[in-house]
Amino acid sequence: MSKFVYVTYIRTTPQKLWDALTKPEFTRAYWCGTSHESDWQAGSEWRIMIPDGRVGDGGKILEINPAHRLVLSWRNEFMPELKAEGYSRATFEIETVGDTVRLTVTHEMERDNSKLIDGVSNGWPAILSSLKTMLETGTALELTSRWPENL
Amino acid sequence: MTEMTTQGTVYVIYIATTPEKLWAALTSSEFTRRYFFNRTVESDWKQGSPWLLRMPDGRVDVKGEVRESDPPRKLVVSWNVDWAPEKLPEAVVSYEIEPLGGGVVRLTMTEAHPAPIPAYLLEGGRKGWPMILSALKSLLETGKPLNIPVPQPPKEPGQ
Repeated sequence: MSKFVYVTYIRTTPQKLWDALTKPEFTRAYWCGTSHESDWQAGSEWRIMIPDGRVGDGGKILEINPAHRLVLSWRNEFMPELKAEGYSRATFEIETVGDTVRLTVTHEMERDNSKLIDGVSNGWPAILSSLKTMLETGTALELTSRWPENL
Repeated sequence: MTEMTTQGTVYVIYIATTPEKLWAALTSSEFTRRYFFNRTVESDWKQGSPWLLRMPDGRVDVKGEVRESDPPRKLVVSWNVDWAPEKLPEAVVSYEIEPLGGGVVRLTMTEAHPAPIPAYLLEGGRKGWPMILSALKSLLETGKPLNIPVPQPPKEPGQ
């Protein structure tokens, strides 16, 4: 089993956070220029589109409760070594705490020493830090505002 | 039988600030009382010096020694919880500050446990750091901290 958990507290509302996680006009700003595509219904497919047209990651929506909970099957699609590991599972939980919203992202996979989970363990803190900055200040971190060169 | 562990906690957060401002926020009470559950800090932050974290009512929460101090890049302190009824083994907390360009700094907080401690107590740190460091980031980026209710100290399972 490989597992990564990240918790962040954001001054926002559950609905604004939900929109930021699911709508391409927001994901482009803080998630390295990517757009997220799905009709966001249980059983539907979802995918992350890289700005040059490649599919970054994709899978199915396993569970969806807007503004509360989203569970995705998740496979990397553009790095052969990671794609070969197959599907992981990502869970997003949104809860109101005081005047903030707690976002818990759990990304896990059955296999031990997963390279995908190792990779997302580095990626999630940067993307979720930038998401928090965007929701609280209106502008995401420059660090995650565009797709990295040579990736 | 209480479950024991030496597993540490690592939390990474990216903040739109400078290493100097982040260092000041970690080491001065005017900042810590706004993001660290109203607590203040006392130390000259020199290697070998004592440091402590004080509760709003004046009691000492945590005390220890500055193990490494390289402003504004790295701070390592020993961490002894002062109020627990039984003495807990010492933890070591490190803050590493790396400027990444584009006005962004990466903060890596590591809470290490050289000696085994009860697993349920570790839960406290694991839940607390995201609250503290999320509030620190908001304070530095927006000038306003977050209003997160102070969590209750962890209880031993079954009690």
